Amino acid sequence: MSTLTWHAVGAYAIAAILYLAHVVGLRRGAENAGRAMLAVGVALHFADIGVRCYHGTNPISSTPEAMSLAAFMIAAVFLLTSLRYQLTAAGGFAVPAVVALILLARLAPAEMAPPTAAAIPEMGRLGQAHILLATLGVAVFAFAAVLAIVYLFQDRSLKRKQLDLAMARGTPLETLDRLAHRCVSIGFPVFTLAIVTGAIWVARLGLLHGRGTLRPEYLIAVGTWIAFAVLIIARVGAGWRGRRAAWLTLGGFGGTALVVAAYFIRHAV
Amino acid sequence: MPVANIDLLLLGVSHKTAPVAVRERLAVEPEAIAAALVELTALAPVREAAMISTCNRVELYVAAEDADRAAAELAGVLARRAGVAVGDLAEHLYQHRDSAAVRHLFRVASSLDSLVVGEPQILGQTKQAYDAAVQHGTAGAVLRACFEEGAFRVARRVRRETAIARNPVSVSSVAVEFARQVVGDFSRKRVLIVGAGKMSELAARTLRTHGATLTVINRTRARAEELAQRFGADVADWNDLQGALTTADIVIASTGAQRPVLTLETLKLVRKARRGRQLCLLDIAVPRDVEPEVGKLDGIYLFDIDDLQKQASDHRAEREEEAAEAEAVVEEELGRFVKRWRSRQRGPLVSALQTHFHGIARAEVMRLSGGVDDKERKARLDIAESLVKKLLHLPMTALRDDDPDEAVSLVQALQRLFSLSPMAAVPASEEAPAGSDANVDKKATGS
Repeated sequence: MSTLTWHAVGAYAIAAILYLAHVVGLRRGAENAGRAMLAVGVALHFADIGVRCYHGTNPISSTPEAMSLAAFMIAAVFLLTSLRYQLTAAGGFAVPAVVALILLARLAPAEMAPPTAAAIPEMGRLGQAHILLATLGVAVFAFAAVLAIVYLFQDRSLKRKQLDLAMARGTPLETLDRLAHRCVSIGFPVFTLAIVTGAIWVARLGLLHGRGTLRPEYLIAVGTWIAFAVLIIARVGAGWRGRRAAWLTLGGFGGTALVVAAYFIRHAV
Repeated sequence: MPVANIDLLLLGVSHKTAPVAVRERLAVEPEAIAAALVELTALAPVREAAMISTCNRVELYVAAEDADRAAAELAGVLARRAGVAVGDLAEHLYQHRDSAAVRHLFRVASSLDSLVVGEPQILGQTKQAYDAAVQHGTAGAVLRACFEEGAFRVARRVRRETAIARNPVSVSSVAVEFARQVVGDFSRKRVLIVGAGKMSELAARTLRTHGATLTVINRTRARAEELAQRFGADVADWNDLQGALTTADIVIASTGAQRPVLTLETLKLVRKARRGRQLCLLDIAVPRDVEPEVGKLDGIYLFDIDDLQKQASDHRAEREEEAAEAEAVVEEELGRFVKRWRSRQRGPLVSALQTHFHGIARAEVMRLSGGVDDKERKARLDIAESLVKKLLHLPMTALRDDDPDEAVSLVQALQRLFSLSPMAAVPASEEAPAGSDANVDKKATGS
């Protein structure tokens, strides 16, 4: 890992500790310091991705690079959203997840760094579009999942009349529900395009190389797409919100995570 | 705190020492503050005056030349105002001087002396009291230092560094906070008030101040209209209770009904019609207006009067614990304030001492330099100045020493030894350590 990457990880880690310190009540008011450190981390991470690009490492050229890009997107989306909404508890989940993702990406076995796709000469624009869209979709769904987790905790606290816990988390239920829905609404078309471009790309590769195997991750990806489609339709049609929507969002993101894990493991072994 | 030989004196009554029957007689309306301040500063020993008058306290902060005389005259003013004999008022009156008075002011502004510890209004009321004194020309250097440089700063620090004011402690503010955690900002939210009794009125008042849009519904429409008119709210027909519940974000139920008016069956239908939108139900009625099983429905959050009271009580207990931390902040700031003030007080004394010695040195050089040229005279003057500086170095260092007891004796010794002006004196009363006999609360004698 480069020095710049370590610095970004360090800033993210400090931000994560500050957010967690606020959430568990060790240090009230640490949220603002956490947000400032997160901003530093995002800036350093952006610089890191830029420097790697300059040296010829495309951020979508391999699973680890794409994971690092996804971590950057989650951090940036969270930072921007937290400027408008108080997302203290969400920070306690999102920022540690960013740290884990970037560490996983950068400490991945060296043989993974070259590539899932970049080494395939015929990757072309379609393959690049697929990976970029999938990365963006994963990042947005991850953020929605964080909001869904916080929603479930907040719901439980309020059902148990634990006002202090609810206040410490800082985000009202209605806001969490609305933001999570907005994320899913943005992520769904992106993910749909990622699946379509991926399907066409794989089909072309299959035709070129006769590798037409139907892998499990393709099925999981389709299952995930269906889960999110059901969520959006059920919200519009039947008013599915709150706990049910939160659980379905988590289920959908679980599927997305499985797809990423399948790619990661496939290229790690 | 003293300037020259002026003392800071506090005289007052509060919810701790006087019943409301006494406090209400002493209370001063905002429009009468100017006249009251002028009356206070017209007293011979009073140089500066400020008055904090709230429903829980009436306190006079004055800078006076003769504290004993000022205390007696102020007690007389207050007794006349209350229409009682000075002796009768004395049992309710408390008096503090100098650093004890400053400590009391710091505690008041930080809401440590309030009926509800940590309540936010007192800081604003203290600021208003000081602003009134400034506006009417009755605040000078002493009160400026105590309020602007002291009390307001301490109060801000206490609020920032302790949790004394973090959590709501009244039932209505707990209800507001529960609702906020469910629906968020109230500005675009609709609140349905079910029932038009006294409790409904209180709830409506609280939520109105938070910017919510109100709708009142009551079995007797005339009473609903009466309440609605007072708060600029809409009125819904009792027959359309289900429709009103469907469009509301927060419901406050406080009817006098003996059986629940919001049943599980009704709320199930409402929940379906709301298409999953979160609903906060605040049931402040006894007997309860909402069936308790309603709280188990997904997306509906029910809080009854016991929930609200328990939370408020827990928060009050938390505040009491936080108060100990806040007291430590007050003591720390009081120590700094006294030190800063003392240093400011010694400035003129240091200057006077230097002028005194340099003057002697210069005069002696001039006296002994009758036949010498300018260059030689200047050289002699330089030597004399240098000598004075060196001789004064140790006394100056000792004078700036932090040890209060030593500082007192040095200040007094220097004044007496060199006949320096008493302008810069730091009176003994200020120098007494916090909590010492000189500063302990004294009941006004009323004499």
